[in-house]
Amino acid sequence: MNGYSSILPLMAIMLPFLAAFIIALTGNKALGLKRVLAVIFTFIPLLAVILLFKPIIENGHIVSYWLGNWVPEKTWAIGIGLEIDAFGLFCGLIITLTCFLSSIFSIRYMEKDNGLEKYYTMFMLLTASMIGFVFTGDLFNMYVMLEIMTFAAIGLTAFRNHKYKSIEAGFKYIVIGSLGSSLILLGTVLIYAQAHTLNIAQISAILHGNYNAVTIFALALMLTGYAVKAFLVPCHTWPADAHMSAPSSISMLLSGVMSKTGIFGIIRILYMIYRSKCVAAPSMEFLMIFWGTITMLIGASMAIIQTDFKRLLAFSSVSQIGYVIVGFGVGLSAKTSVAVTGTMGGLYHMLNHAMFKSLAFLCAGAVLYRTGTTDTTKLGGLAKKMPYTTVLFMISLASIAGMPPFNGFVSKWLIYQSTFEAGYWPVTIIALLVSVMTLAYFIKLAQSVFFGKIHKEHENIKEIPWSMRVPMIVLAAVCIFAGTFWNVISDKLIEPAAYAIYNIQGYIDVMFNKGYAQNMFNHEIPIPKMTRAMAGYWSPINWLLLFVVLIIGFIVIASLLSKGNKKESIIDLSDTKYDTFTGGEKEYFSHMAGNDLFWGLKHQFRGYFKTLKNAHSGIVNDYVLWVAACAAVVTIYLFAVL
Amino acid sequence: MLLNYIGAFLLIVFGLYIILVKKNLIKIVVGMSLLDTGINLLLVSVGFRPGGTAPLFMNDLKPGSFFVDPVPQALTLTSIVIGACVTALALSLVIKVKEHYGTIDADKVRRLNG
Repeated sequence: MNGYSSILPLMAIMLPFLAAFIIALTGNKALGLKRVLAVIFTFIPLLAVILLFKPIIENGHIVSYWLGNWVPEKTWAIGIGLEIDAFGLFCGLIITLTCFLSSIFSIRYMEKDNGLEKYYTMFMLLTASMIGFVFTGDLFNMYVMLEIMTFAAIGLTAFRNHKYKSIEAGFKYIVIGSLGSSLILLGTVLIYAQAHTLNIAQISAILHGNYNAVTIFALALMLTGYAVKAFLVPCHTWPADAHMSAPSSISMLLSGVMSKTGIFGIIRILYMIYRSKCVAAPSMEFLMIFWGTITMLIGASMAIIQTDFKRLLAFSSVSQIGYVIVGFGVGLSAKTSVAVTGTMGGLYHMLNHAMFKSLAFLCAGAVLYRTGTTDTTKLGGLAKKMPYTTVLFMISLASIAGMPPFNGFVSKWLIYQSTFEAGYWPVTIIALLVSVMTLAYFIKLAQSVFFGKIHKEHENIKEIPWSMRVPMIVLAAVCIFAGTFWNVISDKLIEPAAYAIYNIQGYIDVMFNKGYAQNMFNHEIPIPKMTRAMAGYWSPINWLLLFVVLIIGFIVIASLLSKGNKKESIIDLSDTKYDTFTGGEKEYFSHMAGNDLFWGLKHQFRGYFKTLKNAHSGIVNDYVLWVAACAAVVTIYLFAVL
Repeated sequence: MLLNYIGAFLLIVFGLYIILVKKNLIKIVVGMSLLDTGINLLLVSVGFRPGGTAPLFMNDLKPGSFFVDPVPQALTLTSIVIGACVTALALSLVIKVKEHYGTIDADKVRRLNG
């Protein structure tokens, strides 16, 4: 390993932390400087991640760094080690890219708020702790980073504390979030009591084949704890509140990226620490697929009945995380080629969800920035005033609904195919159904916010400034790129990351010495072949061409029609001679409200939707009960099957 | 030694019980704090070895003496600090809840629902 690549991860973690303290120390002076600092110090980690691509992705190394040079003594880890494999780098890329774009978006978006030095301090803490979380190789360090992350996120959720909803969301978040963290800490303690080390590589080497009741209990606790962070049902109650109350530049990080850290934790536990218990174990496969399916179904059902722009997006995130978990659940399958397809689908959907959901939240932020509300019943007809935002939102819509030339299609296709091949065909059907529901609630959102008739008070609004448009355009470009050139993304990112998830032996050997893992395991751990045979070939370029042709055709026809219409049907309704035909009533504004577009569906299933709505009662005790019950059920299930 | 584990377990259960049942937001914060304390007790008990001395390298170490595990103690310190942060942040949020809602009853602080 050459010198520079091993120092890069440390820089990516420490420099944002340093920036957080610098910004906090300077007080409320020189705001412009703080903005520049935030952009620079989120760009440096992005640069570090990009520089790490060469050693990790191309050369296939795993970069490690022992803090303070506390190297292992007699192959026994005594210090904190950073370890970055392709999977950690993949998550790091998602995190750093979105944080960088968010810092650019914040420049104008947050200009009307005061107390911005606190905003930027917590923003940098959030960035640094997320990067630290995915780069660390130490179980307790993961917990600490998670706590810093949660604090920063709570602080940012409650940032606009003159609004009641920010405070309420912040309080619910801290109760449920710290309960989740407590479960993770409890699991960490129990694992430490068994393995007497905190290094993930060493834990997985020691625990291999030595599982007992305590470690299984720890698995149940940690799974539930990370499920709170990744908001799997029934621990999904806080994100809806938190994401709708936080500033949009933060909602995008909470929803698009912080949920991925929870998934990162789940993957590390299942595929690394409990490798021989979980991988190729049908009972664990069933648990994760079942959990993911419930999550996607309930998230989408809740999203349909929402009327707030950002709250709807938050529930949509819950449903999309379900897809990711289903993908990784299939990854635990014993049939290796199916497992690889599932893992790749899960990874691909992680990337895609981060991109299109961030884009959707930024669109919500753009609407909020210009109109001052995110309530869809008070919005409408913004397409003419904000054409860029509308087009970008439509790209996000097409991506999340899984339309062919966009990225959502690729990952969802992988997930459909892998669940079907794994024998879980009901899950495939539910996933397709949820995809239709996703399209439905996004269409509802687009119709009620961007189309229809504009409200009087919004007639003078303008398009958002360029510094806010550019991050959105970048995200949209990534969406299109990842959908069209899926070969490139798959070769450069997804396959190395999927390989790294299964490559437990390499992960352990890098931290200690070559052959350590095999010595501990007594046999070679097989790594499934990274095959794309099951992935289903299709030609995105043709779809893109078709899409462009259709769009151009639509524009041409629409412009021709509108020209024709202008000539013939100009009826002056204010002329009283038409009163004979209309009965003389005043013509009134009949914009169908956003929450009414699917009123028929909602009416038919009113029992179901009402039960769900009442279940999300908003009382914090109930939500805690759900988490506790979830922990109990998972514990009982794991003790029954493992 | 067993007593420590029982105590830790009881603290965790009581903490969870308070969070689940009590409607006063301040009591919920107290419950969270209690839960943290239980985990800290468990954490420090895990590293205890009967007869061990404090993990300090001194000149007058008797032959045959041994240390208790120092790592859990460091972890407990970290965990205590984090617990204090949680309590402080949660209580400051409760103050703000009182300002906005005029009450700290969990049944009434539920405008965000459904």
